Amino acid sequence: MFCWCFPGVSLVCILVSIAGKNVMLDCGMHMGYNDDRRFPDFSYITQNGRLTDFLDCVIISHFHLDHCGALPYFSEMVGYDGPIYMTHPTKAICPILLEDYRKITVDKKGETNFFTSQMIKDCMKKVVAVHLHQTVQVDEELEIKAYYAGHVLGAAMFQIRVGCESVVYTVTAWIDKCRPDLLITESTYATTIRDSKRCRERDFLKKVHETVERGGKVLIPVFALGRAQELCILLETFWERMNLKAPIYFSTGLTEKANHYYKLFITWTNQKIRKTFVQRNMFEFKHIKAFDRAFADNPGPMVVFATPGMLHAGQSLQIFRKWAGNEKNMVIMPGYCVQGTVGHKILSGQRKLEMEGRQILEVKMQVEYMSFSAHADAKGIMQLIRQAEPRNVLLVHGEAKKMEFLKQKIEQEFNVSCFMPANGETTTILTNPCIPVDISLGLLKRETAIGPAPDAKKPKLMHGSLLMKDNSFRLVSPEQALKELGLAEHQLRFTCRVHIQDPRKEHETGLRVYNHLKGAIQWWLHPPAGADVVQLEQGSWRRCSFL
Amino acid sequence: MEAADEWLLQSLRLSGAKWLELFRLQGVGLHGLRGHSGLCQGGRAGQGGSPHRVPGSSCPPHEGVCVAGYGQSDGNEILQLIPPPTLLTKETQGLCPERDFKVECGGFSERPVYSLKYVPNTSLLVTSGPPDSSLQVWQVSAENSDVIKSVSTIATESGTGQSWAKIATISARAPWVLHGSRLDRVQITEVESRKNVYTAASRGSEELSNLAFLDCNTVLLCCATGRLCLADTRQPQSLVEAASVPSAPCSEQWCMGTRHAAQGLEPSSQPVARLSSRGLLTLTDLRKTSELLALAKARVSSPGSEFLCVSWAPALEGYLAISGFDGTVHVYDTQSWDSSGREAEPIFVHRGHAFGGAGGSEDPPLVTVHTWHLQKPRTLLSAASDGSLHVWDWVQPCGKCG
Repeated sequence: MFCWCFPGVSLVCILVSIAGKNVMLDCGMHMGYNDDRRFPDFSYITQNGRLTDFLDCVIISHFHLDHCGALPYFSEMVGYDGPIYMTHPTKAICPILLEDYRKITVDKKGETNFFTSQMIKDCMKKVVAVHLHQTVQVDEELEIKAYYAGHVLGAAMFQIRVGCESVVYTVTAWIDKCRPDLLITESTYATTIRDSKRCRERDFLKKVHETVERGGKVLIPVFALGRAQELCILLETFWERMNLKAPIYFSTGLTEKANHYYKLFITWTNQKIRKTFVQRNMFEFKHIKAFDRAFADNPGPMVVFATPGMLHAGQSLQIFRKWAGNEKNMVIMPGYCVQGTVGHKILSGQRKLEMEGRQILEVKMQVEYMSFSAHADAKGIMQLIRQAEPRNVLLVHGEAKKMEFLKQKIEQEFNVSCFMPANGETTTILTNPCIPVDISLGLLKRETAIGPAPDAKKPKLMHGSLLMKDNSFRLVSPEQALKELGLAEHQLRFTCRVHIQDPRKEHETGLRVYNHLKGAIQWWLHPPAGADVVQLEQGSWRRCSFL
Repeated sequence: MEAADEWLLQSLRLSGAKWLELFRLQGVGLHGLRGHSGLCQGGRAGQGGSPHRVPGSSCPPHEGVCVAGYGQSDGNEILQLIPPPTLLTKETQGLCPERDFKVECGGFSERPVYSLKYVPNTSLLVTSGPPDSSLQVWQVSAENSDVIKSVSTIATESGTGQSWAKIATISARAPWVLHGSRLDRVQITEVESRKNVYTAASRGSEELSNLAFLDCNTVLLCCATGRLCLADTRQPQSLVEAASVPSAPCSEQWCMGTRHAAQGLEPSSQPVARLSSRGLLTLTDLRKTSELLALAKARVSSPGSEFLCVSWAPALEGYLAISGFDGTVHVYDTQSWDSSGREAEPIFVHRGHAFGGAGGSEDPPLVTVHTWHLQKPRTLLSAASDGSLHVWDWVQPCGKCG
């Protein structure tokens, strides 16, 4: 039914080894190849031995085919029986996309060596759906946690943690300050400076408006889930503002399915949609009505949203055939179309299409392309790193590109190491392990009692003895340490003889030295109030000792 | 509705900008954009058409725009951007898959970049900025790297009270850079060898606003006071006052804009525009400097800043644009101007920068620089202090339809 992929991007499939655990991040398919190159080469992972033994888990970030398209091939044809983690919406939508793509590839293009419908079903049985912010224990040591990513419905970024080492994997630019050891991010668009979304929307409105003003019809083939709802809100507002009268229709098949998913996953949608949904039913717009097949023949201007998005079948294709012959009309393609579909053909410039029964369709209507790609751009990447505060950054890029400048920029600005491995290359990242040390309660209490209260902003120095026994570290008071080790305490005293030539009486001199030292000590050592650091022993007039 | 949305819709309705692209360049250290060059048809293989490389302008070796930061701290970036295909073709395509600028290469400058010029026919670029009047030379586009590397510094004798150098480049006999911060410190240096080729005679120590090559033998200097001086580079020590300070209170700052002549025409046949920080505009014919060709006043909301900028449209006769007063860029048709000094009505005012902001932030953005698209007649690029970069055009109002 739908598919949302980006041209020029290859596929994403990353293997991470963290503290002895092996995790596969995404398992994507390359949309540009028609042969085996469309799937990752899994022999990279392990030459011998089963993948199920080698990999601890597979994590899928979202339902785009360049991130999950190779999953059934991987699990059913190559062979993997371990857990596959993804969010609930992703689990719901993935099989639909995979099946859709399978249909086009096998049925329309007649390819073999592709996964079957049954394989998709079997693969999804291995999927464990996760909730946001839910810590999932993959095994005793490995845990994962999903965070909202906001890219497409159900997209998540994942934090993978083993002990005190962690990796965060994300495709977009919203994140908490999770301070991972390593942040892996896609950087295909990292050198891009994006035009503002508002401007693209403005252009979209302009095109629609112009077409409608001259009496033409606008067809917008859409995917049930995705931009359709946002575009509807946009048009509705525009129509209201400009007091336009031309009808806008929404094909019903779309409504039901989309409504269903949106209701299910309402917490996953973006703010704009959520706000609208809360105010009224998703599809009760003032200017947008449900479509009836017969309306396509009505005279006069109109705008219609219909599925499927690539014009490869169904209602959108039907409407397209009716309207294609009139140059006053326009079709706005909302995304990349897979090769072989009518959408792809007209975007490539083809204006004479062969339909069923060898009929030739001449396309005189205007063909426009709209791109609201949500990948992180240059600003997005920097923001992401700024928010997450990782110790290292790894950029995954779709094409071999010169990214020296971006690498330098990241290293300079954030003072972290930045890696850009090529396909098949292994990158080793040294992490500073966190060593937990237990502190005895008695020591803690005693130290906090001395001096100023502990402050979140000012570190306080404390003294103790570190005991390392077997694999544990403990911080205890020196007395306790001595006791446990069965050692006796020794006190060392340092003396130093100072001759002072002074005409005054001994007593006075002694007092002067005492006061001077006391003042100096206060200045240099900030002893706790009340503590007597300097003592003057009157009896033996030579002595002035430090405590 | 938000003010920005409102403005966008207005722009649609009043058939204002035919199309519009708004970008935001951000990052620590990139406090704003300055010194970017125009777009020009480059020498890329198979592009067709002869490279329209204009003497003295700052076109990158191929289609592109260069922007640089002028923040106080170091780590200012210099970015060479490839514009989206929409900007490279003459025909406007509204909806196009590639609408984004791409960073082709970038570099880091330790000092703020106040002026930036490409050296034609080379892969070098020259920048200048405080704290002194020396120039930095950079190498762009090495084969394997996308980093703009610093290659050398052209040092100048630093005197007291010297600010940053204004620059202009040309590659007629050799790659040259004309530079100086003051009238008595103007020189031409050969970029690669750093040899001094010409030193202008001293005619006072006024601060310069900008300078330009009129052709490979003639340079024009504009002082901050408004005084224009001409020099012939073949005659050392020649410096002639071309036009005096237009009568105005002394506290005004002036800058100039020169228009490059089409092939075959005398460079000095093009009028020189001068803009003051109060909004006064004068047009001078260099062949007859005893009187002004025209004098007009632009309606400006606040006095101009250090970012005063006036430029002639390369493809529209008599059109010029001004900026540097606030968040707007004004476009004027000077063909109807006379010397009365009357207030002139702009043909179009671009207000987008005022709305682009992050909403409710402190100072309203100030347009730091603007430039014209070399082929698309009514298209301009403008950048502002908040890091925004706009590409915009306007629709010609239909004649006298009441």
